[in-house]
Amino acid sequence: MSANGAVWRRVRSRFRAFPERLAACEAEAVAYGKCVQASTTPGGRLSKDLCAQEFEALRSCFVAAAKKSLKGGS
Amino acid sequence: MLRPGLLCRRWLRRWDARVPAENLSCREVASGIPPLGSTSPGALNIFDRALKRKQKNWAAQQPEPMRFDYLKEEVGSQIADRVYDIARDFPLALDVGCGRGYIAQHLNKETIGKFFQTDIAEHALKNSLETEIPTVSVLADEEFLPFQENTFDLVVSSLSLHWVNDLPRALEQIHYVLKPDGVFVGAMFGGDTLYELRCSLQLAETEREGGFSPHISPFTAVNDLGHLLGRAGFNTLTVDTDEIQVNYPGMFELMEDLQGMGESNCSWNRKALLHRDTMLAAAAVYREMYRNSDGSVPATYQIYHMIGWKYHDSQARPAERGSATMSFGELGKLNLMSQGKKSQ
Repeated sequence: MSANGAVWRRVRSRFRAFPERLAACEAEAVAYGKCVQASTTPGGRLSKDLCAQEFEALRSCFVAAAKKSLKGGS
Repeated sequence: MLRPGLLCRRWLRRWDARVPAENLSCREVASGIPPLGSTSPGALNIFDRALKRKQKNWAAQQPEPMRFDYLKEEVGSQIADRVYDIARDFPLALDVGCGRGYIAQHLNKETIGKFFQTDIAEHALKNSLETEIPTVSVLADEEFLPFQENTFDLVVSSLSLHWVNDLPRALEQIHYVLKPDGVFVGAMFGGDTLYELRCSLQLAETEREGGFSPHISPFTAVNDLGHLLGRAGFNTLTVDTDEIQVNYPGMFELMEDLQGMGESNCSWNRKALLHRDTMLAAAAVYREMYRNSDGSVPATYQIYHMIGWKYHDSQARPAERGSATMSFGELGKLNLMSQGKKSQ
């Protein structure tokens, strides 16, 4: 870590905003979670990008929430 | 008997975990355990101890260290309860991996005469909590205790042995520094700790990246713990499990708290980077799979509590074979026999 930790603090403050942005995307997160959980039942197999569609929906919602908070906040 | 530990404090300040024990120039250090070259067979080098020391120092220097202390405080008070349950006074006690001294603050002067606190992180020792017992802080690694044989009446250890590379050797060291009829009361994290986090990260990483790497450190199984204590020479073992469940708003808060406690991953095989996408996916999976009814997510901490005694002639031993005076077949007549004795 640098002498005054400015970079670390900046990155960490961005990271601290993650929970509220995730909270703004409740439905997409539930859909993604259900898709992954369904693959853990006996007979299911979890492979790469099995739930890619749900994750893309979650990610775009997350990015939109980030843009909104950036515009609204600073 | 006390002088070796105090003399070595000056030398230990320049010493970190990479220096083998036999290179210490302190004449009086006499560890009876064989030096580093001949560690016990099967000893692994899983954890980067220098990094763990940096992480613990960083955590101890945070602006509000008491914010992350809740778990260690709770387990520290449980250990203090167990020490009180033993109907004895301990003139000299040692705390291995003490952190900020979570056990000492719950104990009193009557039970413990003098307390030695050791940890690998000097800032944790400097910011130690208030206690009425006279303490001496020693900077030492759990695997290389700089004390002579048969020194301490009591050794306690709270939630620090899970970062030790060579656990059999650490337990042997503890057994070595104990006096005969001394007792070791310890607590360490068990196999089921943070299983929710482990599973969520595994599933998310598999789905996002096609494979996964371990992000939670490996823990000892409870059966192995009993064997290890027996192998180290302890008698009259007691190992019991406790589960503490803490609710967090989400996975990110849990990870921040773990880092604040100084419990970040330091294994050599850790992946250097956790992608944002994977973290997001893991948080969603964690919430969906383990969420409580009020929206919070639980994290389980499984704690193994262990008590072991160093052998002494006065301790009760199993009876000799063939010394039985009654047989099991007479159990049914036990009441009649005792009534008969009373009437006589």
